Amino acid sequence: MKLGSGKNGLIINIFSIVGFIFLWHVLIVLAREDIFNIPFMRLRDIPTPVETWNALVGSMFTRIYGPALTYGIINHVEASLIRVIQGGVLAFAVGVPLGIGMGYSKLIGNILNPMVEIVRNMPPMAWIPLAIFILVSGGSIFIVFIGMVFPIILNTIYGVKSTDPRLIDAAKTLGASGSGIVMKVVIPSALPSIVAGLRIGLGVGWMAIVAAEMVIRSPVGLGYFIWNMGDLGRYAEMVAGMIVIGVVGYFMNISILLFQKRFIKWAD
Amino acid sequence: MNTSLKILLLVFAALLVPGCLQAAEKAPGEEDTPINLVRMGGQDMVQRLSTGEIAGFVGWEPWPSIAITEGYGKSLLDSGDIWEDHPCCVVAYDNDWYEDTENADEILNRASLIQMKSVEYINSAKNRSHPDHEELVGFTMEFGGLTNRDAAELSLDNVDFVYMPNIEGTQTFIGRIMDFGIFDVDKWKQSGYQTAEEYANDLITTEYVDWAIQNKDMPLTELALPETVTIRYGYLINDVHELPFYIGWKKGWFDDVGINITLAEGAPFQNGAFQMQKGFKAGAVDIGSLGIPPVIIHRINSNDFTIDDTKVGVISGMNNEGSVIVVANNINSLRDLRGKTVGYPGPGTIQHVLFLMAADKEGLKVSY
Repeated sequence: MKLGSGKNGLIINIFSIVGFIFLWHVLIVLAREDIFNIPFMRLRDIPTPVETWNALVGSMFTRIYGPALTYGIINHVEASLIRVIQGGVLAFAVGVPLGIGMGYSKLIGNILNPMVEIVRNMPPMAWIPLAIFILVSGGSIFIVFIGMVFPIILNTIYGVKSTDPRLIDAAKTLGASGSGIVMKVVIPSALPSIVAGLRIGLGVGWMAIVAAEMVIRSPVGLGYFIWNMGDLGRYAEMVAGMIVIGVVGYFMNISILLFQKRFIKWAD
Repeated sequence: MNTSLKILLLVFAALLVPGCLQAAEKAPGEEDTPINLVRMGGQDMVQRLSTGEIAGFVGWEPWPSIAITEGYGKSLLDSGDIWEDHPCCVVAYDNDWYEDTENADEILNRASLIQMKSVEYINSAKNRSHPDHEELVGFTMEFGGLTNRDAAELSLDNVDFVYMPNIEGTQTFIGRIMDFGIFDVDKWKQSGYQTAEEYANDLITTEYVDWAIQNKDMPLTELALPETVTIRYGYLINDVHELPFYIGWKKGWFDDVGINITLAEGAPFQNGAFQMQKGFKAGAVDIGSLGIPPVIIHRINSNDFTIDDTKVGVISGMNNEGSVIVVANNINSLRDLRGKTVGYPGPGTIQHVLFLMAADKEGLKVSY
């Protein structure tokens, strides 16, 4: 998703955000005054935007109360991002070669396709119990890897298969070897699709890391933070953490888009 | 790059840069390296200590006794070493249920009486030569989910069962919870309490235990309510601290006084924080047993003060002490745990607060 471009787009964006915050505030106030409520929900327990903002500011940095050291949101973001980057690098290193192999060679494709098709339909969250019991450490990174690797594989296959056959024929005519064709024709042609897979994978990985941190033991991470705040009944901090998750995810997406625009200029 | 994107990137940078600067300024030295508390269930604590994934845990009985008798670790500190005779679990009622129930006081009188009777039964039967000792060990193994008799015996030894609520100890807990920054400051202001003493006195009443003491020699059936009432009871899973409730229930004493116990939706709860939020606040629990710190914390933090939906009242004690810091055999002091991972039941539990108190005495830092 992109924010609107141009002055009009920016104005609409600002009004949209302000309108949402206003609606949020009004709903909570009405619920607290017993004027309106959504059935089966306890809207009154949701913090108002002002309470959430105060909680966000108050919990941004590490705080120390006597022996108790509570990490700031900034530290939790850092920890979660590092895990996503580690899982992402692993997924990229595994997913791209596999995708190129499966896309370029029918034999490799036929061998690996059944496994990929079955395993990719298992959501990353379904791997969490296995990660808890099997892995001594790195469970969260493993979950990110699972979340990211399949979009990368599938998009790489698509990119490789979409390579213009005329380009491959031309390279062959000019005497290029098999590896030369892959390195100089197929990969550059597939790169926009690979980056698109990375972008989709990052989104899945980011959602997966937050879920994994809620379950897999770790003293720091955004998932852990919002779960802890919920346990302490500090709902404003909890919602602030949720918003930060959304904002960081948004910026990750934008970063990849910018990367694509800047470095892969041949992509549409 | 369009203007809106630039603005957003600037905001993001503004958030990240101070964080990085702060991290650089406050990079902890070895002396400041915190002990990392990580939330997990009791079974998980024992299993992860046995595989060396955690250096220790602070837990309620029977988990410490299981880990110790199985040889996975040793007791570093009993909670009585951290604070002698500290209050632990209590019996509490939901204020909404109280206001909606005509004979709530009569029910609470009888619930306190059963609590007292159960505690007296346990304290007598703890003696290994007592004729009821075998039965007590059987109840402990059933309620604690134990298969190891030695662990059941050790659990019973480690817990001091009581029925009198401890107001002074509760005041101390409130003070420490404030010191440790666990209260939501705005919610504390909304509560209107000025001091820990005022809060503790509003939270706890001894009138039901007083009635129980006056009537302790009466046969239960003579004290039966005119009509049987059904109570939705909440308690913590496999927590030997709450054995008095289980004994009163299994021996039929609640039935004798006309109270039909049913398990509240969600019970048994994983920890006191869940019980306060998903039980009392959600209106699913009428009466329940849980640690006093979750009561203290959530009566403030989770409460909507316009309707006081998390208001509970404490009517009797359940136990004092009974938590243990268990560590791997190569750990010899709390200081040795710096930089290591220690399991605990969750933020705001009694084990959390006790661990912070132990670390405070040693001048150590604890992250959670």
